[in-house]
Amino acid sequence: MTGGGPRSASRLPMSWLPVASVPLSLAGVGVSTYLTLAHYTTASILACHGTGLVDCAAVTTSPQSMVFGIPVAVLGLGWFVAMSVLSLPAAWRSSWAWVAPARLALVVGGMGFVLYLVYAELLVLHHICLWCTSVHALTFVLFMLVAVGTAQSSQGLRPEPAGCQPVRQTRRPARPSARPR
Amino acid sequence: MASAKPPASTVKPVPRGAAAARSRNVALAWIAGVVVLAVVAAFVVVYLTRSTPKATHTTGAPSDVVQAVTHVPPATLAAVGSGNGVHAPSPIKGAPALTQGGLPQVVYVGAEYCPYCAAERWAMVVALSRFGTFSNLGVTESATNDTPPAIQTFSFYGSRYSSPYLAFTPDEIQSNQPSASGGYTTLQSPTPLETKLWRTYDTSTYTGLPAADDGSIPFVDFANRYLVAGASYPVTTLSGVTRANVAGSLADPSSPIAQQVDAAANLITAALCEVTGNQPASVCTTGAVPKAESVLGTSAGSSGGSSTPAGGASPPAGSSTLPGSGG
Repeated sequence: MTGGGPRSASRLPMSWLPVASVPLSLAGVGVSTYLTLAHYTTASILACHGTGLVDCAAVTTSPQSMVFGIPVAVLGLGWFVAMSVLSLPAAWRSSWAWVAPARLALVVGGMGFVLYLVYAELLVLHHICLWCTSVHALTFVLFMLVAVGTAQSSQGLRPEPAGCQPVRQTRRPARPSARPR
Repeated sequence: MASAKPPASTVKPVPRGAAAARSRNVALAWIAGVVVLAVVAAFVVVYLTRSTPKATHTTGAPSDVVQAVTHVPPATLAAVGSGNGVHAPSPIKGAPALTQGGLPQVVYVGAEYCPYCAAERWAMVVALSRFGTFSNLGVTESATNDTPPAIQTFSFYGSRYSSPYLAFTPDEIQSNQPSASGGYTTLQSPTPLETKLWRTYDTSTYTGLPAADDGSIPFVDFANRYLVAGASYPVTTLSGVTRANVAGSLADPSSPIAQQVDAAANLITAALCEVTGNQPASVCTTGAVPKAESVLGTSAGSSGGSSTPAGGASPPAGSSTLPGSGG
């Protein structure tokens, strides 16, 4: 895509990437909304729920459920809302140079934060929350979509419509060396 | 020689360097994905192979600790009162009386690994000691890998309790020792009756807590008149405090530990007085207990932040089906 001003010279990724990233982001918005509501409405029960690995209350009421005083669920909701906007087909087609780097930076940051949360669940709390795990899985798939999509659109020229075959120029065009005598 | 000119109008050239860079970037993206999965896999492996520090086995309680906890001065208990932010037992209305040997029966279900059970035991020992005598009390601590970790406490496992006023049947269903199959090793199995009580009354219908918290521990049934589901006070009160220091603090009404543990003990004492018909009078009609009894039935549930309908819940008429498995 070319143009004047702050525009990037990139090619569109495969068409299914934008199509897939939007519903994934919206699914993340849905799950994060539920977790945010649960965070503010669920009582912090002073009891042990069980001894199994899966214990959502142990995770969502833990000290690790807050970062800098902000509930992780709220951070997740904001992240998915931002990803939903940046994953719109219009955003994927945008010629503004900052959109693709911003989307990539956001998804890399989100993936890194998810790794921290998985670490906290498994190695600090020793419990996992399946709702949180679904968010983590959505984040990973979004990470792959955005990373691959950004890589595909990072360099080169947009290919011609189907049917055109690239021509390899194996030798320089011959220059007329001399007039026939 | 004639020149061979390609049909430039049909194909745009793809610069070789740009295509190579794109391929490299795509490969990097896939590698990043593999790295992420590898990190998660590493976390899982560490989780599965971690060497969990073992908590202490149950051992006999030091006599000075037992003495301090089972003989908290009545003046201290009276001074502490019902405390601030301490949750009272929730009433159960309409349930059949629970007795054993003609005495009101108090059923406790907990586990040694559970930090909330660890907190509740301190208050229970203080309160129950006003109605009878413990022997063979053990000491243990909650699991070191739970949150908060390693709360020093008593264990009811192997203990005996005698009282002319009530029967106390505790079950520590699991230890604080990790089992090979996950969780913790089994210590005691509640009797069928105790299991039925636990599964019937430790539910959202009676506790006012979300259904997801059904079967949580600690659970205490006071003769089917009152129940406790969860610790009566924040367990962090005891974080990092040694058993001896907790015991030593209980006689000091200005101690934050006494203000939580003794207040919870007063509220439990009030529930016990309700089920024993205010016997013994020396306990139930003096100090902070009468006022604590007035708190029962109007308090906001036994677990933090929850709201139990005032007056408690009635059992479903004719209900013979037990709710799902608890704990």
